[in-house]
Amino acid sequence: MFSKEKIVIAYTTENCKSCNMERKRKFKEGDYLFAETFKCNSCEGTMQIEKIFGEPIEK
Amino acid sequence: MVNFTNFDFDQLFGFSDDSNPLLMLIWILPIILFVFYGQRIQLLVTSGEIKKGIKKLDGYRTEARTELIDYVKKNMNPKEDPTKKIDRFLDYFTIMPVDMDPNGIVEKVRHIVRAREDYSRNHVKSLSPETDEIELSKVITLLEIATSLHMIYKIINHMYLTAKKQNNYPLILPLQMILPFIMEEAEAITKAIPVFKLGQPVGDGIGPMVVGKMMQNTKKELVAFQTVVSEKEYDGRKLVLLKPEGPGSTVGRPGDAVETIIAKNKPDIIIMVDAALKMEGEDSAITAQGFGVAIGGIGIERFQIEDIATKNNIPIFAIVIKQSIKEAITLMTKEIANQAENVRSQVHEMIHENTKTGQSVLLIGVGNTIGISQ
Repeated sequence: MFSKEKIVIAYTTENCKSCNMERKRKFKEGDYLFAETFKCNSCEGTMQIEKIFGEPIEK
Repeated sequence: MVNFTNFDFDQLFGFSDDSNPLLMLIWILPIILFVFYGQRIQLLVTSGEIKKGIKKLDGYRTEARTELIDYVKKNMNPKEDPTKKIDRFLDYFTIMPVDMDPNGIVEKVRHIVRAREDYSRNHVKSLSPETDEIELSKVITLLEIATSLHMIYKIINHMYLTAKKQNNYPLILPLQMILPFIMEEAEAITKAIPVFKLGQPVGDGIGPMVVGKMMQNTKKELVAFQTVVSEKEYDGRKLVLLKPEGPGSTVGRPGDAVETIIAKNKPDIIIMVDAALKMEGEDSAITAQGFGVAIGGIGIERFQIEDIATKNNIPIFAIVIKQSIKEAITLMTKEIANQAENVRSQVHEMIHENTKTGQSVLLIGVGNTIGISQ
């Protein structure tokens, strides 16, 4: 009957510029779109932030 | 067993000759009460609801003010306590130019709005001159949020108190009608505070997100205040890409930028990508294509771009990504973020359909670029 309160969690997805491997993690302060972050675990290429978005979860 | 087919209505309503005068009074009193005091009773009931709304609005504006002061203290490290200065900023007002003679009014509005923007920026910066531009843009946005909530509270409270003072029910009716919309907007503005503090992209940033990605690996130049441009080749066409300079919180000055770009090199078409308010019942994150200048605000940028495009006979195409007011100013939803690739392919399709090899296209990403670089 009553709608549950929704909490929005921010996520960041990174893509490897070389092998296109995608990684999703929780948003960290300082993240912004198209910033280069770490080296890719599989091919040593550079990971770049592709998306930052919120996903709601029900409390 | 009760026989429902055989009621004596005279007896039930006390209309028979031997009816009780007390029962008659019970019928007549409320009628008299509602005839003479109906409006006052309605005023009491309605004002109770409005009072609750005003209390919420007061909470929102206090929260915005406290968050702003804390953020300034924590991130700008001002030498003096900024509270007094911030409180003064919250009460600043803008007097719009006289519109009895509308000739040249856009120039006047632009002058007043720009003067206010420059003044706010300089005075916020004076709190701590070492603050970097990204931090400064966030503080200015938080100040705008706090000012908006402060103004909303003051106006709604004024309307309510005036109606109460005059005991005037019709005066409270418009307030009762607009309050749900105001509350929705105020709640959305309040929810935007943590998003801007953390520098996360908002739904309105989908335009800069689409163009920002296309600007990767190109040489970026500042073309107007907080607005960047770059060029690249696409399938034999020259693409001129324009967006606000990220990842700070700004919408740039696309009007000035378009003027500078067209003065140097006239494009064959202009494509604008922006967020647009969805209608009730429409799905969020759907895209639509159309014609004309897709840009919000009070109209000065739109006027400027329309004016230049008309003088130079350049067709303007638009792609919009629909969303609610709340989605536009809070953390970008997954559905909106997932549309970026689709919009890019629509842009490419539009370029193919409307230009030939060797022609040039000006692509503008419109919106707040917080959390979106290039």
